[in-house]
Parts: sequence; structure tokens; C-alpha cells
Amino acid sequence: MSVAAGGGASKIDKTKLTMYGLGGGILGIYLAHVLNMITGTGYFSFLAGLGAIAAVLMGADAVRRVCAYGIGTGVPSIGMMAMGMGLVAAMFGLAVAGVAGPIIGIAIAMGFGYFVGMLANKIIKMNIPVMEEVLMSLGGAGAMVIIALSVVISGQIGYQDMLKDVIFTGYIAIVFIAGALAILQPFNANLGPDETQDRTLVLAISTGGLAMFAAGIASLVTVGVGGAVLTMLIAAVIWLKAFLWYFKLVKRDSAGVIGTGLLHEGGL
Amino acid sequence: MDMVSMGLLAAMGALATIAGASEDLESDVGSQSNPNSQVQLAAQVGHTHRIYNKAISGEPPSNALYAALAAVVASVLMSDAYGMNAFFSIAVGALVAAIFNGILSMTSYMGRNASQARFNQYIYLDVLRSHTTTIMAHAYITAFCVVTISYIMTATWLPIQHPFPLPVIAFTWGIALGAIGSSTGDVHYGAEREFQQYPFGAGLNAANSGDIVTKAEAGLRSSIDNAWFCAKFGGPVTGLAFGLIVFLDNWRTTIFDPATQGWYAIGTGVLIVVLLNVYNRILEVRSKKRYGPYPEYVGDIKV
Repeated sequence: MSVAAGGGASKIDKTKLTMYGLGGGILGIYLAHVLNMITGTGYFSFLAGLGAIAAVLMGADAVRRVCAYGIGTGVPSIGMMAMGMGLVAAMFGLAVAGVAGPIIGIAIAMGFGYFVGMLANKIIKMNIPVMEEVLMSLGGAGAMVIIALSVVISGQIGYQDMLKDVIFTGYIAIVFIAGALAILQPFNANLGPDETQDRTLVLAISTGGLAMFAAGIASLVTVGVGGAVLTMLIAAVIWLKAFLWYFKLVKRDSAGVIGTGLLHEGGL
Repeated sequence: MDMVSMGLLAAMGALATIAGASEDLESDVGSQSNPNSQVQLAAQVGHTHRIYNKAISGEPPSNALYAALAAVVASVLMSDAYGMNAFFSIAVGALVAAIFNGILSMTSYMGRNASQARFNQYIYLDVLRSHTTTIMAHAYITAFCVVTISYIMTATWLPIQHPFPLPVIAFTWGIALGAIGSSTGDVHYGAEREFQQYPFGAGLNAANSGDIVTKAEAGLRSSIDNAWFCAKFGGPVTGLAFGLIVFLDNWRTTIFDPATQGWYAIGTGVLIVVLLNVYNRILEVRSKKRYGPYPEYVGDIKV
């Protein structure tokens, strides 16, 4: 492990996190679509938001794993790359595959990620052992976050609905950038030699909640007040819980959280 | 070119100047972007500090978030369903963006400093309280100005009527603004203010990484001191740079109608770039001759 970028040992296994992320993300997206369609309302859009948080957790852990190799200033770039791969694949999947779009999109994004990782290792010769596997997770997480937040806004999966509610209204801007910051901020904010996995992941829940809240605001126009307020309310509660939990972990890990005072002895 | 277009152009230039200045000062209070790595390194080389460490991301993505979020909130409130007045909608949007900024700033400060525990870097709650509000206030001004520029470009009752929706235009201006703030303003803070103990213009030797000034004229240096310093030059010059970009770019399409005189507008753009490059070259050579430590130059003062 590089001291500059840091990172402690992982308590939660990466395979478990990837599985939970993929499962939770896809389940959230489809549950929101099906329940909204059956009831004919937008009240279940928040389920896609919960799926987005699961995907953010998977993405944030992938960022953490690759950036522990000393990529300090590259953390935001990795997040942007995830969203770039995700956006292209997600739109392609939705355009060609209808309701199966999310699964196709996520699969293509993961393949895309693996290919980019292979290029980085074999052609550019970066020689980072986890590159292929991490970029595969990141591509999948990026695609899932984009699709999930778009479903929060449009209420269902159809490509035409997405075009009308998410792309033509311009809300894709917030889906893209709020999703990207949700994935990159957890590790970027905790970067350093004493970073711990649980603190990073708790922050990922918090930033995922923020992204869900932002998508909830946009859905005020598209799915109606009831569904949007429900999404925003649930996102706010998740964010608050995660933020307080994060503050507890900060107090646990830091040299000291003090009201005010001079520098530590030997600091001057 | 009519008087309304010219007036709007002037308003956009003025708003962009204010946005540029407030964006740079916002990033300076939090030591975001380039100066951030030095603040991050300081504790590791033995200088614990009371400087705010706001590592959200580079300035372009974070400003894109604030601008896009403010624009989304504004466009929701202005939509037919809610019908709020544009001025108040943008104000509410900027407020939401400032709150998001505050949350991301706080988590970065706490997280980065907690990850420096082995170097005895404390987390000071008074720094968190006083600085976060300052950062949010600057972010509010920035988001308000950027979304207003975007609104002027897209509103259906105004002459420009850009085909892209408001959030996408705001997103693009946010990235542009962050890039200008990062390249223009950060030099003043990152290369000069943090390394005041070294000769002016000395550059940053790798061996001096992290050796930043942590003591102020009286007491310990805070990031609000740094914003005060940068408000003298770095902030205004960032504002000027962004203001000129917005003004000159829109000026050429205002005097030449893009539909019928598109090539004239493109030619004017190329001419502006060439003129600015020549001016920059003259400025660079002149300042290197005057300040650069070259062997053949003995200085202006006769011994």
C-alpha cells in the first residue's frame, strides 16, 4: 500500500460488495419499474434510488481498491471515467433492448471496463494488478447509477420516457455529475494513510443519499409531487443517518476532534 | 444587433466576472484543487495545521455539480407545474447548491484529517463552523451567477434562445468556470501564499513539498486569511478571465448573426485567440526579463 494514497485493510470482501451492489441495483431498478407500472403511480420511484445507493457502494469500494495503488489526484478522473463508460453503455442498452435494457447496459459497461483495463495494463503498461477487475466493477456501477437515477426521474424503464423526461429536460446533467461525485467523493474525502474501509463506505451511503435527493428534486416535474416527495424524504433520512454514523467513525479514527485549540505538540 | 442583445451581453459579462471571483475565493477558503495536495502533505512532513482541507474533486466537476443542481432546482420551480418567478427560482436553486457544497466540504475536511491520525492532525470544530459557512456563501454567489447566465441564454422570451436545456448549459458553464478558477486563480494561492517563506517566483522545488506556511502574522494561519490574501489579486483576475471569456465569446455571435454571418463570427474568434496569444507572449518575455533570475540580467538597481 502506498502511504500517499493510503488505505487500510478491507473488512468487507470485494466479491460480496460487488454482488450486493449488482443485486441491489438491478433489483431496485426493476422493482421501481414494475410496482410503478402495476399501480399506475410514481410512488415507488424511490426504490430505484435505493438501487443507486447500492451501486454507489460497489463503485466507491472499487475506487478505493484501485486508488490504493497511489493514484492520489486521479481519484476524480477515475470517477468520471466510470460515469463516461456507464453513460454510453446505459444509453445503448436502453435504446436496443427495451425493458431488458438495464441488464444489457450494465453488462456492456462491465465488458467495456474490462477492455479499458486491459488496454491500460497491456498497451500502456501501467501494471496495476487489479485494473481490469476494478474498471469492470466501475463501469457496471456507473451504468447502474445512471439508469437507477434516471428511473427515479422518469418512473419507468422505457427508452422514449427516458428521452422525454431525462435527456430533453436536461436532467441528465445532474444524474451524471451527482452520480459521479457520489462514487468518487467517498474515497477522495477519506484519502490518506489512516483511511478505513467502513468509514469510506458509510460516506458512500451518505453521498448516494445526496444523489438520490437531487434526482428526487428533478422528479418533482416528471413523476409528480407524491412520488418525488417520498423519494426526497427517504433520501434525506438515509443521508442524515449515514452522516451521523460517519461523524462517529471520524471521531473513532482521528487523532482528536476538538472544539478549538492550538496545534498538537511538535506541530509548530 | 439590437440594444437588448447588447445589454444582455453586458449583464452576462458582469455576472461572469462576479462568478469567477467568488468561485476562486470559494476554492481558496477550502484549499481545493491544486493547493490541496500541499495541505494534504503538510501534516505528513511534520506541519500540522488549522487550514481547511476541502478535497471534493477538481474544481471543474464540483462547480459543474453546483451549477447543474441549482439549474435543475430552478427549472423545476419555473416549470408550468410550479410557475415560480425566475429570479426567486434561481435564488432557491443556488441555496440548495450551497447546502450540497457545505455537506461535501464538511465530509472532506473531517475525512481527510481523520486519515492523517498518525501524524497527529486534529479536526477543529471551530474551523469547520467558521469556514464552511464562508465557503457556502461564496458558492451561493457563484451558482446564482452561473445559472442566471444560463437562464439568459435559454429563456424563451429573450433573444439568444439556445437550443440546449437550462441544466445542460449550466453544467457546461460550471465546468468552464471551474477550469478557469483552477488554472488562473490557484497560482496565486498554491504557488505564492502557501510558500511565502521562499523567494517570490521561485517555483516549487519537490523537496519543499508540504512545507507550507502554517503560522500567520499573529497566531496560526486560517484559510480565511488565505481568502483575504487571494481577494487582492487571484480572485479578481479569475473573474476578469471568466468575464472576458463569456463576454468575448458571446460578443462575436451578437455582432455577427450566427445564421447568416457564421464565418465572420468564427473569424473573429480566431482573431481574438491570435491577439491574446501575442499579448501573452509579450507579457511573458517582459516579466521574465524583469523578474526572472537570468545570469545575463543584473537587475534594475545599480549597486
